[in-house]
Amino acid sequence: MQHRQIVSKSALGWQVRLEHITMNIHSLFKHPAVRLLTLLLGVSVLSLLLSFLIVQTYGLSFQSAWSAFVDGAWGSPYVIGASINRALYFALIGLGFILADQAKLANIGAEGQIAVGGIAATALCLYGGAAHLPHGIAFAYPLLGAMLAGACWGGIAGFLKAKMGTNEVISTLLLSFIAVWLLYCCVQSESLLKQPMNTSASLPQSLPIPDSTSMPLLFASSGTNLNVGLVITVLLAFVIYTLMHYSRFGFHLKSVGHNANSAKRAGMPVFSTIFLALAISGAFAGLAGGLMLQGDQQVLKTGFSSGYGFDGLVVGLLARGSVLGVFAAALVFGFLRSGGINMEMVAQLPSAVVLVIQGIIVITIAGASRWLSKQEG
Amino acid sequence: MMDVDYLTSQQGSASVLSLQGIKKSFGAFQALKQISLELHAGEIHCLLGENGAGKSTLCNIIFGSLKADEGQILLQGSLFQASSPKDALHHGIAMVHQHFSLIENTTVLDNLLLGRSSGVLNRQQQASDIKNLLKELNFDIDLNVQVKDLAVGEKQRVEIIKCLIRQPKLLILDEPTAVLLPHEINALLRICQRVAERGCGILLVTHKLAEIKQVASKVSVLRSGAIVDFSDQPIQDIDRLVRSMIHKESTDGEVQLLKREVSQTRLVSPNARPLHDEVLQVNGLSYTDPSGVKKLDNVTLLVNKAEIVAIAGVEGNGQSELASILSGMLDATAGQFFVEGQDLTHASPKQLTQFGVGVIAEDRHDTGCITPMSLAENLLLNHLDRYSKFGFLNRKKLKADAEQLMHRFDVRAASSAVPFGRLSGGNQQKAVFARELTLNPLKFLLASQPTRGLDVGAVATIYNHIRDARNKGLGVLLISSELDELLAVADRILVFYRGTIIGEVHAAQANREQIGAWMAGQA
Repeated sequence: MQHRQIVSKSALGWQVRLEHITMNIHSLFKHPAVRLLTLLLGVSVLSLLLSFLIVQTYGLSFQSAWSAFVDGAWGSPYVIGASINRALYFALIGLGFILADQAKLANIGAEGQIAVGGIAATALCLYGGAAHLPHGIAFAYPLLGAMLAGACWGGIAGFLKAKMGTNEVISTLLLSFIAVWLLYCCVQSESLLKQPMNTSASLPQSLPIPDSTSMPLLFASSGTNLNVGLVITVLLAFVIYTLMHYSRFGFHLKSVGHNANSAKRAGMPVFSTIFLALAISGAFAGLAGGLMLQGDQQVLKTGFSSGYGFDGLVVGLLARGSVLGVFAAALVFGFLRSGGINMEMVAQLPSAVVLVIQGIIVITIAGASRWLSKQEG
Repeated sequence: MMDVDYLTSQQGSASVLSLQGIKKSFGAFQALKQISLELHAGEIHCLLGENGAGKSTLCNIIFGSLKADEGQILLQGSLFQASSPKDALHHGIAMVHQHFSLIENTTVLDNLLLGRSSGVLNRQQQASDIKNLLKELNFDIDLNVQVKDLAVGEKQRVEIIKCLIRQPKLLILDEPTAVLLPHEINALLRICQRVAERGCGILLVTHKLAEIKQVASKVSVLRSGAIVDFSDQPIQDIDRLVRSMIHKESTDGEVQLLKREVSQTRLVSPNARPLHDEVLQVNGLSYTDPSGVKKLDNVTLLVNKAEIVAIAGVEGNGQSELASILSGMLDATAGQFFVEGQDLTHASPKQLTQFGVGVIAEDRHDTGCITPMSLAENLLLNHLDRYSKFGFLNRKKLKADAEQLMHRFDVRAASSAVPFGRLSGGNQQKAVFARELTLNPLKFLLASQPTRGLDVGAVATIYNHIRDARNKGLGVLLISSELDELLAVADRILVFYRGTIIGEVHAAQANREQIGAWMAGQA
């Protein structure tokens, strides 16, 4: 206070103005959008720095690793399409995850639900008569089968939870192991889905699916390979959003999740709510499996789901119950994975290093989003 | 309030604990008003009082969990205030809580040794010490059994042994018999006598008269935070003590509010009622819990139209089970209940609601509402049929109706969108009443402990709602452990004891002494 009295009038005015500016800057930083941008910048810088260190210590050139990443993730219209197609798998799994999460159910078995979805889609494409159907339905019918298979797989966990209170974390995880090994069996036996032994090198994988059953491209003439999966996923995102916010089922989900006793007393169908939550969640992951097969994979082989299920789970967690959040996180994961694959192939970075870098990025994002939600109270 | 100076004047030579002018307030609520009490070595001093009289607060102050605002505690003649339970234990004060603090998956011996040793554990030495003590006290308990395999009474015995191996001078037992079966109670009381004979002072908190008759050497009666009566010949004075326990000063302000409101229907004798006037008919309802304890034993009762039937009783005598069965949350082991002649024994909560049974749950937060969800959602939790079409909810209409209900039932909140958990207890309960009373149809209302934890203003509103419901011709079953509430609101009072109806009286002829005796199990 004394200090203020000493300074002259003009100096005082200047000081006030300065205070004003700093206060404005301060409030600017409090603006949600600015905060988000700063955060993104921070996350990028931090993960780049850490990746740089790792690549350097590994004795490789960061420059070539980075350019490989860029080429793979968004270097051409084709890879952008591929990245987005990948993001769709994550988005579907994430959407299923946040739906079940409304009822405080954690479906962590997406990996297995993808596998059964893939099996079902393969079976229907190759032997289910999908190839003879008219063009518009030929690809949709196996997808529906994949959804149903995923729904059954999730539904088993839902039934166990609703009927006997079996912890869904355990049941979905164990069912996931079963499904992954089921897929292994399917591609090992010719009486199941393995391709017939007519070539000298018959790998343990299925025949490629007929062309008519693969996912139609959205812009066939252009360079991208974006497929119809994008439309399906966006539509389903609207469905999930409406279910969560405007349907009676969404109300039931929330009520059962917060307090099953009160929900039961209020006459809500607790059993079917739990069962359906996990079944729908499974159906979404199953659909991701179908898209994967009829999109870029075309054949069913071991390692088909290759960790998409678990990454999708992280997408769902990062989204914190928001449909838009699912898409944001899914895009990050889609581009990361495309870039990572290219880093492996072009820059000769071992896959372990790629995975470590991806892990670091995810942890940084997770930490940042946690910080953001804390700031928002 | 009675003068209690004579208590402090008779300081004996072997005084273990002496409380002098203890006061304790929680905010504006005075939980303890000037408590003085004297406890001698070798005696069992019973502290008698209703729920909320301040018994637990007093125990917690002696044991160091709470600090007194005023007054002093003398432990064996020297000034002492335990700063924490650990400190109290160190100074020879031990307490057995109503809820056990045992580790289920370990043996009895390990539980006993817990917290006893510092540094190296000499298991064998300690075990043989404990065995000697057990032999001395004539305790029969296997030290190598897992705690989870013990019966409730045995677990409690382990708790007591846990206290005794510290050689306490003072043992506090907070309602130790609330969870026990009759034969276990007798065993416990015998143990208390044996422990007292060894020179330990025992402070036994209870509201069961049988126990007092059996073991107490002195009895102090606590009511609304003050000691209002004392006796060193409890067996002779038992009737007087009961009266002091439940007597209510007529000058009390809230009595105005609790005053009886005479309804026309109450004056009609049950025999004069037309046939088929009953709304609820409970027929030989029994419930045995999974551990084999009979919680509800062949209960038969009637609730007529335009009648409030109240169920009194110390908590844990089967009232909660009855409420759970009537609200569809628990399946009865035997017997039926009918609402307007319709057998609803195994109906789901939804069917009950559709048939017109409104339920005010005993534990609001467990079965009455969903605290993280909004007030509007909670107000219409079981009315969703009205707002859904093709699986979609009409949120706009739901919000509008919720706001109307808020207005009509005077539920105060910033908006209908605030999380239910942010509301005060009174407003929460008003919201629950709003929801249940606007059911369509509504034939019968079950209200369990409807005013628990509410402030006086909210209590008045709740009573008005209950009376209004009755006046509209509804049958009301009111379950409460507040005697004043029952006397103020009910038309007929049934008293539960150990899962059966031990007494029934018309509210107009009811007197506290009779009901108090029934509540304590004296038929």
